[in-house]
Amino acid sequence: MAEWGEARKSSLLGKYTQRLSGPQKVTGQAKYTFDINRPGMLYGRILRSHIARGTLTALDLSPAEQMPGVKAVIPLIEIGKEIRYEGQEIAAVAADTRDIAADAIRAIRFDYDPLDHVVDLGEAMSEGSPQIRDWENNQSERQIDEKGDLKAGWATADAVVEVTYSTEVQVHTCLESHGHVAEWNGDQLTVWASTQAVFGTRRDFARHFELPEDKVRVITEHMGGGFGAKFGPGVEGRAAATLAKEAGRPVKLMLTRKGEQNTAGNRPSMVQHVKAGATKEGKLVAYEVSGYGTSGLGGGAGFTGPYVYQVPNYRTEKFNVAINAGSGRAFRAPRHPQGAFAMDSLMDELSEKIGMDSLEFRKLNDPNEIRHAEYDLGAKEIGWHRRPRVAGSGTGVRKHGIGVGSGQWGGGGGKGTKARVNINADGTVEAITGTQDLGTGIRTAIAIIVADELGLHPTDITVKIGDTLPGLPSGGSGGSQTTPSVSPVVKTAAMAAKESLINHLAEKVNVAADEVIIKEGSVTIGNNQLSWKEATSTLGMETISEDGSWDENLREGGAAGAQFAEVEVDTETGQVKLTKIVAVHDCGLIINRLATESQINGGVIGGIGYALLEDRIMDDQTGRSLNSNLIDYKVPGAQEIPEIRAIAYDTDRKVTGIGEPVTIPTAGAIANAVYNAIGVRIRSLPITPDKVLAALEEA
Amino acid sequence: MDKFSYINPARLEQVPGLLKNDWQSKVIAGGTDLVGEMKDYVESPKRLVNLKSIPGLDQIEVDNQGVTIGAMTTLTDIAEHTDIQKNYAALAQSAGVVASPQIRNVGTLGGNLCQRPRCWYYRDPDAICLKKGGDVCYALSGLNKYHAIFGGGPVYIVHPSDIAPALVALGAEVTILGASGARTMPMEDFFILPTVANPFRENILASNEIITRIRVPKPDTNTTSFYLKLHERGSFDFALVSVAGVFQVQGKKCQQLSLVLGGVAPTPWRSSEAEQVLRGQVISEALAQRAGEAAVKNADPMSDNGYKVTLTQNLIKRAAMMAIG
Amino acid sequence: MAEDKTRSTDQPEDRQTDLHQQVNETGLSRRNFLKGLGTGAVAATVAPATLAEADSHGAATSAEITRATAKLSINQQAYQIEVEPRTTLLTVLRDGIDTKGQRVDLTGAKEVCDRGACGGCTILVDGRSVYSCMMLAIDVEGKEITTVEGLADDGELHPVQQAFIEHDALMCGFCTPGFVIASKALLDQNPNPTREEIQAELSGNICRCGTYPFIFEAVASAAKKMK
Repeated sequence: MAEWGEARKSSLLGKYTQRLSGPQKVTGQAKYTFDINRPGMLYGRILRSHIARGTLTALDLSPAEQMPGVKAVIPLIEIGKEIRYEGQEIAAVAADTRDIAADAIRAIRFDYDPLDHVVDLGEAMSEGSPQIRDWENNQSERQIDEKGDLKAGWATADAVVEVTYSTEVQVHTCLESHGHVAEWNGDQLTVWASTQAVFGTRRDFARHFELPEDKVRVITEHMGGGFGAKFGPGVEGRAAATLAKEAGRPVKLMLTRKGEQNTAGNRPSMVQHVKAGATKEGKLVAYEVSGYGTSGLGGGAGFTGPYVYQVPNYRTEKFNVAINAGSGRAFRAPRHPQGAFAMDSLMDELSEKIGMDSLEFRKLNDPNEIRHAEYDLGAKEIGWHRRPRVAGSGTGVRKHGIGVGSGQWGGGGGKGTKARVNINADGTVEAITGTQDLGTGIRTAIAIIVADELGLHPTDITVKIGDTLPGLPSGGSGGSQTTPSVSPVVKTAAMAAKESLINHLAEKVNVAADEVIIKEGSVTIGNNQLSWKEATSTLGMETISEDGSWDENLREGGAAGAQFAEVEVDTETGQVKLTKIVAVHDCGLIINRLATESQINGGVIGGIGYALLEDRIMDDQTGRSLNSNLIDYKVPGAQEIPEIRAIAYDTDRKVTGIGEPVTIPTAGAIANAVYNAIGVRIRSLPITPDKVLAALEEA
Repeated sequence: MDKFSYINPARLEQVPGLLKNDWQSKVIAGGTDLVGEMKDYVESPKRLVNLKSIPGLDQIEVDNQGVTIGAMTTLTDIAEHTDIQKNYAALAQSAGVVASPQIRNVGTLGGNLCQRPRCWYYRDPDAICLKKGGDVCYALSGLNKYHAIFGGGPVYIVHPSDIAPALVALGAEVTILGASGARTMPMEDFFILPTVANPFRENILASNEIITRIRVPKPDTNTTSFYLKLHERGSFDFALVSVAGVFQVQGKKCQQLSLVLGGVAPTPWRSSEAEQVLRGQVISEALAQRAGEAAVKNADPMSDNGYKVTLTQNLIKRAAMMAIG
Repeated sequence: MAEDKTRSTDQPEDRQTDLHQQVNETGLSRRNFLKGLGTGAVAATVAPATLAEADSHGAATSAEITRATAKLSINQQAYQIEVEPRTTLLTVLRDGIDTKGQRVDLTGAKEVCDRGACGGCTILVDGRSVYSCMMLAIDVEGKEITTVEGLADDGELHPVQQAFIEHDALMCGFCTPGFVIASKALLDQNPNPTREEIQAELSGNICRCGTYPFIFEAVASAAKKMK
């Protein structure tokens, strides 16, 4: 069993290390899939449905096929099949230029028998609405979960809260849209993909084209954001490769912004009717919820509940509602932000009812000691004592308030990653594995681990990731699994490479292995000291190449997390201004503190969008989304950003993963802060000025 | 975008003729609205007449009576002009909060005044709404959170320009060049409310006419002006409600004023009810409150935009208080 | 509702023509109405200018350009690119091939929204930040275009670039070229910005990974270094 050693003693682990990809990215040298230009490459484009529902009766591709500059045209739906949402793929073209491709899809003609659509959640559920799939009233089966004795629980409750919480459909909004460059060389397929899963994508392409996997190569050196939406080729990837095959030329097919916002996934919405009870001593005793959401036509909606806090008696009922809209996909901590917003609000509503401080109430029902410490640290940082004791009691037009939110995550990684460390005679070191860096910083984390082991600097390590060619698989980057899955294997590979070098040197100099010390860029053998390069030059024609192995002892699951928000609400305009957010998150052993803080900032900012701004809006008349663009779909910009204090909280635990936990508590913290400021609760996200004003007026 | 041909006239006088008055040709200034519309296929002109090739349309000329600004002046140049900042603050401020720096560096005075609505049905190329020659205003029975609370019907768009309310409040005049020459009119008359006969256009320009310049008279002494904009997203957002205020105040007595709202109507909307309350009076918080209430007395909110009534009321109140510092 | 069934039988041009006919009819009647009111705001229909007519100044100014060879100066290098009027500057930077067959290959500026709403395509034209996706290539002839690839001076990074690396003002990096350019433009105009000013001047750029806090620090740090 390997060990991380005393991380505190390491000059690298847990310290601030600059991202290796920085120089490439700030100079525009980093090539993303969108930037790849191949000789003879064509530009692909997808024709999408502008109707939400109908049966395709005719499809005439010939105007596109006959257009000069168009080299391939393929249908993506069969006559007689049902179109089921705006944006659904109808056909695809490949042409010499981007503009010709756009002309070509506009020239394609299709006809359909219209069918009644439904895009509103409430309407979809009601009697008499169009049945758009094989679910009665467009509702899936209920998923029921029960524990304890709810009746007994209610009997002991001194305070009961019964309310409805709701959250919006949130769109990933990756800046680099989904897309691929596909190039055939005989029966070999090379794909540059904007993906979170090079090996999963390879498997998908291989299956689709009935190729052996080793005939497919997927490359993702850099990619412009995934957030859970990019785990496979999708219709667009397979279309790109099919067009490339037909045209006999490489094809680059990237989604347009509209297609990206409309059809490339989203975080499903949530409506939950919840009732919970607590004793006056502050114990949660009963919890009952019925909740649903929409993920478009399929399953995938959901929320965590009860969440973080323990309740001995509960019953939960959860289901999906189908609407004619682009389907949901995993989005940064799936189901948790929905559940956390509701649970965090609920805990505050209950604690107010029993007259107990919200933090005290939470601690009484939360067994996680790490989170307790995070509450304490966060409370101190934000100045929890400064909040109005009575919500809404501040005077003046602009009222300030402070709120708290919490979260938890699994992470922990798993086996399956293969990694290799090569030490070359010229002193260069390569670390190779088939993971991908979405901006998470895994590339630099790998360099840190190897450098730490070999006594080098991270910039001395050449990290090769994002390519299936070396045949060293790793899983998709989801679930906050990447660092804990990759780190142990990289660590053991580095350890093995170090050991090999030591053994080689020991043999060469004829000493015992334990007399060879590799540390801080130099190698000491007995009384002699060599530089790293001098030592490796003794390899001559050889290269040290060692594969790592999985080691359970180097990682573990379970991350907590707590965030505090301070807001100022303008009661005349309903605008919520964020003053400060404190986010305290643990992730076990921190590899790169700088990148971890960036992740925390990023998660908080994603949560700010979720809490205050973002909402995919569907129009019932047209069946289309009204805001599949970056003006009307409002993501946080520079002026939405408060002071954010990102605290990467050290624990003695192993490498866990941080990507998702950091976006969970934000909305609850902000919603609670708004309540604390104005004394009126808004139970629906996003908290926009119109909702604040309406709530104030009702009060 | 669909294909189009491009014309670079050397002289202003050529422009009306080149536009052919058939709605198939359009002028392009900075392009920051038009290019977006064309990329969405909401507009597909066959011919673009480039105004950037004509020299002399982007000058700011200050004299003792006022300032003349060419239609091709960029919003950045207006916002950064020290004289405009000092004496026509509402104009500088409104220009300075349009969109983003990148837009302001390219967007022009004329283009900003003539930009098309942001209504999401209007911007949907597949929704043939009333404004685009169809039968129905989708906003009326649909999602209208960002739509009009004054002057709406039969379409309910709001005019998206920030500088329009400021120019109307400052009493600006606009010069238009058409086929039979130039004419000047008050800025206030340039914008038109939708009618059943003409729900299509937001201003009086025929298809072969362009704005060439605006002229803002120098405000009297003791006059201050400002532009207040409320948006949902601080970065790069259109106004939920905005107000341009021009106040001539002696002590706390309001001698003359002009209050023009943005984001509430298909045109910049003069709040004459509020002006009436404040004109000639000593401004106090109570009076400011009354002015706000008067401003929304005749508001006609739609199903989703009642909050704009509250915003308008409170913004007018704030404007009045701002006038007395 | 009057919904056309399929784009195939009702192209936007058709709808536009109908609309324009209606407007002309309406406009005509409105013009008569106005004339009746004596506003004088009426124009008779004018015969269209003939194509490519030369005026008294000698230059052909009414030529309808459908193709052009744009002579562009990008990062102080001259390019000649065949373009249509609808070709945007962003397309030229990313996909352009010049008349000598050489790829421009300046892919730093990104296509993200293609609507001038997100800043991913931000570059400098004559030192001012603009959205290259909204610029027509033929409109930037004779202007100095600077992209992120042109910032480093002989291999030495611009202080803004260096600061971005040091402060981790980037994660996936897709927005980074746009932010670097916008930040440089900001500091060129305002060498000593407050945090609020930094936020305001960068409000035209979106980052989805959420690097804003470290971007603000990087810009402040670069400002200090550039003094």
